[in-house]
Amino acid sequence: MSTIAYSRDHEVVQRLRPEPMTQAEIDAQERIDPVEFDIFKHKMHMIALEGKETTMKLGASTAMRWGDVAFGVFTRQGDLSVCATGIYHHAVLGQIPLKYVVKHWVNEPSVGVKEGDSFFYNDPFYAGVHNADMGLAVPVFYKGELMCFIAAAVHTGEAGGTEPGGTCNTAKTKYDEGLLVPPIKIGENYQLREDILNMLAAMTRDPRTMILDIKARLAAARIAQRRVLEVIEEKGPEFFIGGLRRILTQTGEAARRRVAQLNDGVYRQPRFLDTVGTEAGLTKINLTLIKKGDTITMDFENSSPMLEGRPMNSFFQGILGLSCVYYCGWLFHDLPANNGLLEAIDWRFPDDAMVNAKGDASTSLAPLVQTCFTQGMFLAGARMTYNYDSSRAVAAWFSGFAIPTFGGINQFGEGIADITPEINATGCGARPDMDGVDAAGAFFATMSDCSDVEATEADRPFLYTFRNFFNSSYGHGKFRGGSGVGFGLMVHDTNRFMLGSMGGGSRFPSTLGLFGGYAVPPVFVQTVHGSNLKDLMADGHTPLPNKLAGIYAPDAPEQGNKATSEVNMVVKPFNDGDTYYVAVGGGGGYGDPLEREPESVLKDLRADRVSHFAAREVYRIVYDAETLRLDVAATEALRADSRKARLARAKPFAEFVRTWDSLSPPQEALRYYGSWPNPREGMLPVGQLKAA
Amino acid sequence: MSYTVGIDVGGTFTDFYCASADGGALTAKTPTTHYDLSVGFMRGMSLLARRLKLKLPEFLSALSGVRYSTTVGTNALIERTGPKLGLITTAGFEDTIFIGRGRSWADGLGWQQGRDLARIEKPAPLISPDMVVGVRERIDYDGKVIAPLEREEVLEKLQTLVDRGAQGFVVSTLWSFVNPVHEQFIKQVIEEEYPEDYLGSMQVVLSSEISPKAGEYTRTMTAVVNAYIHGLMADELNKLGNELRDGGYKKPLTLVHNTGGTKKASRTRAVLTHNAGPVAGLHGAAALGELTGDRNIVFTDMGGTSFDIGLIENGEIKAHDFIPVIDRWRTNIPAIEVKSIGAGGGSIAWINHSLGDTLEVGPQSAGSMPGPACYDKGGKEPTVTDADVVLGLYNPENYLGGEMLLDVDLAKKVIRERVADPLGISVEEAAWRIRRLIDARMGQEVFNEVALKGHDPRTFALYACGGAGGAHAVGFAPFIGVRRVVIPLQSSVFGAFGASTMAIKEVWERSRTFKLFNWTEQSYLADLASFNELVAHMVDQATRDLKLEGYDESEMRFRLELDMRYGSQYNMTRVEAPKLRLDGAADAQALCDAFTRRYGEVYSPEATFPAGGINVESFFLTASVERTAFTLEQAEDAPAQPDAAASQGTRPVYWDPADGYVETSIYNAAKLRPGNRIDGPAIIESADTTYVVSPGWNFYIDPWRNGVLERAQGRN
Repeated sequence: MSTIAYSRDHEVVQRLRPEPMTQAEIDAQERIDPVEFDIFKHKMHMIALEGKETTMKLGASTAMRWGDVAFGVFTRQGDLSVCATGIYHHAVLGQIPLKYVVKHWVNEPSVGVKEGDSFFYNDPFYAGVHNADMGLAVPVFYKGELMCFIAAAVHTGEAGGTEPGGTCNTAKTKYDEGLLVPPIKIGENYQLREDILNMLAAMTRDPRTMILDIKARLAAARIAQRRVLEVIEEKGPEFFIGGLRRILTQTGEAARRRVAQLNDGVYRQPRFLDTVGTEAGLTKINLTLIKKGDTITMDFENSSPMLEGRPMNSFFQGILGLSCVYYCGWLFHDLPANNGLLEAIDWRFPDDAMVNAKGDASTSLAPLVQTCFTQGMFLAGARMTYNYDSSRAVAAWFSGFAIPTFGGINQFGEGIADITPEINATGCGARPDMDGVDAAGAFFATMSDCSDVEATEADRPFLYTFRNFFNSSYGHGKFRGGSGVGFGLMVHDTNRFMLGSMGGGSRFPSTLGLFGGYAVPPVFVQTVHGSNLKDLMADGHTPLPNKLAGIYAPDAPEQGNKATSEVNMVVKPFNDGDTYYVAVGGGGGYGDPLEREPESVLKDLRADRVSHFAAREVYRIVYDAETLRLDVAATEALRADSRKARLARAKPFAEFVRTWDSLSPPQEALRYYGSWPNPREGMLPVGQLKAA
Repeated sequence: MSYTVGIDVGGTFTDFYCASADGGALTAKTPTTHYDLSVGFMRGMSLLARRLKLKLPEFLSALSGVRYSTTVGTNALIERTGPKLGLITTAGFEDTIFIGRGRSWADGLGWQQGRDLARIEKPAPLISPDMVVGVRERIDYDGKVIAPLEREEVLEKLQTLVDRGAQGFVVSTLWSFVNPVHEQFIKQVIEEEYPEDYLGSMQVVLSSEISPKAGEYTRTMTAVVNAYIHGLMADELNKLGNELRDGGYKKPLTLVHNTGGTKKASRTRAVLTHNAGPVAGLHGAAALGELTGDRNIVFTDMGGTSFDIGLIENGEIKAHDFIPVIDRWRTNIPAIEVKSIGAGGGSIAWINHSLGDTLEVGPQSAGSMPGPACYDKGGKEPTVTDADVVLGLYNPENYLGGEMLLDVDLAKKVIRERVADPLGISVEEAAWRIRRLIDARMGQEVFNEVALKGHDPRTFALYACGGAGGAHAVGFAPFIGVRRVVIPLQSSVFGAFGASTMAIKEVWERSRTFKLFNWTEQSYLADLASFNELVAHMVDQATRDLKLEGYDESEMRFRLELDMRYGSQYNMTRVEAPKLRLDGAADAQALCDAFTRRYGEVYSPEATFPAGGINVESFFLTASVERTAFTLEQAEDAPAQPDAAASQGTRPVYWDPADGYVETSIYNAAKLRPGNRIDGPAIIESADTTYVVSPGWNFYIDPWRNGVLERAQGRN
């Protein structure tokens, strides 16, 4: 009998932690030899790595080409046991579609789950982040019995919707987002169903990439299926089922042990967003980490309400997914990445909150909501872990995205839609003993790379006018964040093209510093329609703007219809020669800039990574601007004066709070916020209802 | 009598393999003299001469060839002893080598090392930011000049670099592999300003010449690495060449390339010598395979700190590393893939408390200093070698021919303290677990490497080289699934042996996009002339080059391979072209079909997508010269029963916790003869390796004196 109510299944998405152990799993435990188990674990990891490599090799979308791939082996109940990925949110999120398949399709006669089947899904309600993240899973049977699932999840850069490139600033409800597929069977008897592929292709702007990505996921899953069957053949089904489960158990126990070693406490970190997609608007994600014993509880009370009619919402499971980026990469970096980690994590989400979307709300910009939250994890996490291991209490990487989204006809007359890969060149946060790494990657997809310019230009109609580090792109501090990267795109050899942008942090910084370190400066999009830059390039002598600062210079030679917009820019048409400039920011700063070694500042001056303004006014060093020679005595004196001036500005805490509490943003900024200052201590704001 | 010598410089030893025209061979090893490699080199030559009862000049003048693989370039990179270089690139892209595609902090690290995200670091650059200048120029994807390059601009930027102390230049501009006009112009200006007869004459390396491939980061780094190690290598090779010539050697010195060929040192690009030793080893395995009839071979080399893996498919070495990482730098050279994983006799066993007191082995290694605890050089960590000693697999008195005495008690002590006691098990069981885990890890990683190339590893023979290969092959072979293991006679000097088997071969490559099957039109490529012209140009280049090496056109053989992809994929699948020309739509279709076939074989037919468009992206032409078949002296078949003199008695060996110590026969390898057979359990000791024959395995000496292990039927 059908278990489907033709609506979203709110029960299955709650099952993020491992399912209770089955009797078969319990029985198997006793007979698992510890040495054979470790060998099995390594083998399963090898299988996952092979799957990930294969998916990457065969995929076509920007994210897949550059490694934004999660490949896993799941228990037959759907829990992720073994995973190869650098995008750790999938460690938690990849399992929900499989639990859905188990719950709804195994016993459904019109669907069923059989050997040779394959399932596709991209509804973020199940897959967690946003609908550009698409997955494919295959069940693995041994002698007629379901043993496990294998799945690959990857971002395909185009999902239909109101705008190309997988995110829609203009989405008002989920119906504007394009393709939203709950787990559906797309293949039987080891064959993909051409009619279904045809439908999926028809619903996006880049059908070729859509199909190549699906086939990539499937091919990798099939290879892994063969390997898994060999393992089962050798070790026996009982060992296999028990072993997969033991990996989860072992991970959960290890996570609890690690958490127990941290100081008990309450760590608060309110975070704010400055955009709701199509307009500026303030919202709050109010993160409180309560660490007690062997559990960390993440509490979101007093976060802004769900945004009606705007895409700046996330499902709660997406937030939990992104928390695993921090957990797997920083706190539990030496433990397996799977949903067993959640045994040490608890959560409380208020109903009706932007971090707990419901109903028809759009979550197209959920990635931004989630990275805004993750920024809070870094800040609160650093305080929570400092006493345990200060070397891992680090500032956050850039959290504002700033991704160009595009769609249209390329230089070869082919339809394409995707994003550019520079999101994988953001700066890493500063550390207690060293600067952040320049252009380190994306903190949520650290196995991905930012591509060569030539690889992008080969089949996207762009001519990059520059791509380099930009000055003061990071948070200052005793140790500075890693540099971010600025770049210019000229649309080249097409007149049928659209460009937009996804991101946040143009009104105020998306990424704060740590322990006195500075925030990462805001980033913007600059566009020039009807630009003369191509002519200038051809003339052979006009100095060209080769750096981000250059395009804002008063004497910039480029002429045309210039516009500066926030980094969430709705797509617009661009013609041959029109230009577009944006930057991905650097990492947050760590510690007081007055404590930075003056030599490090001078080194950055020489490499054009810091401005003279910041050297003088932030780092307070005195030097000869020509020779860059330091005046040691004058620097010491200036820094001493600066400290005195700070003390002179100081006031008692209670007095500060009194002044601070009397401040409020203007009402127009609070349309989506909820009541100020605590969003949920009052009525749903009228402004938001009107906007909707 | 004439001889050839193969030489492989390693971190600790320089290996020599000398083959005589009558099929005889001898080997030598000398400590590597890092301060001046020619010292160790000439010592080895003297040693060979002495063994042949010749004076050194007699020996050197009787040599018909010296093939040499060196690590001097790699060392220069690691130690950062190269010159101060200036990089000239497209203005606006000066940071390309520092951005390093973002993830360059992970390049050259193993998969476990990339997870500790709080502590990542990028390697110190080979060129500092102030030594990079951008020139105002731009070429697009089609090779069209969008911004012309002016002479004044070049002069000004050149002066900046010269003022800052540049000792050489790398020139790498965007899309130069499609249209090199700007790079060539910059070179011309430099050479006009600093002509060769000036003292200030400096080397100029163009990315479009060193690596005419797409992808500016890897192309630039290939040129940078080449320029960085060029001078040091040239100095070393000049010195060596002079010493050899002074000693009476009359032929040119030949270098082993990581592309799988050899070439005169004077006509070699420095970057092609990286990792040449392991590549030579792989060729040695292929040459032996020709004799033994093994067509599909997994080659492994297990030393103290690393474990190398290479592949021979149907008698050929095909697997190329698409993006070889040299030290910490991604490059784009057509190197043969020999993958290295961090596992070896020095791998350290430890207890992972985070995961609930589980045993782990590696990836940390005790290296050669201090090395395993049993070396008694201060090693305090239990290693794989310590475990082998405790299990009784190595003879403490006769390890490596008695060259190094092993201290069993020290090995037992560290294993007891660090592993056995924390786990509550006996020292022997702890040692057994260490060995089993590292064997599993190596075997499973080998399986993955073979499987990733689209092969079934179980249909391969395993060639196990390196000091620890003979002792561990029976351990890791089951995890690959192979049933036949060959431990070559030359195992301990295998790189040198391999070098002596290598042919003259050169690889020419070029990136260029051709839409062989067009997605929007659903039709085959019409412009076949451009395709053919490009291939013909490459064949011309290769022919000219081989003529300069002294070969006749009639001896040359060409093979064309193409890197192809569906639609907008990034990664390529390499396909051998049925012929060197496309003479019509049918040929284009045949090539597309060959691609789809290969793709289906490697990734499953479900994944193919011919309608999505098929591009050729890179051309890869191998030019080789036929060589006479490789031969080795073949010995008479002796009876299966070894001579009594081969037996060295017995000693207790711990094969398995179930059986405990088992009294095991020990043999002297030097006294065994081809045809002799020994059933496991047994241990065979030779001066350079120990062959471990587990229960369930058989051992025999083949006609070429290789040790062969075969798994008894039925056991798994």
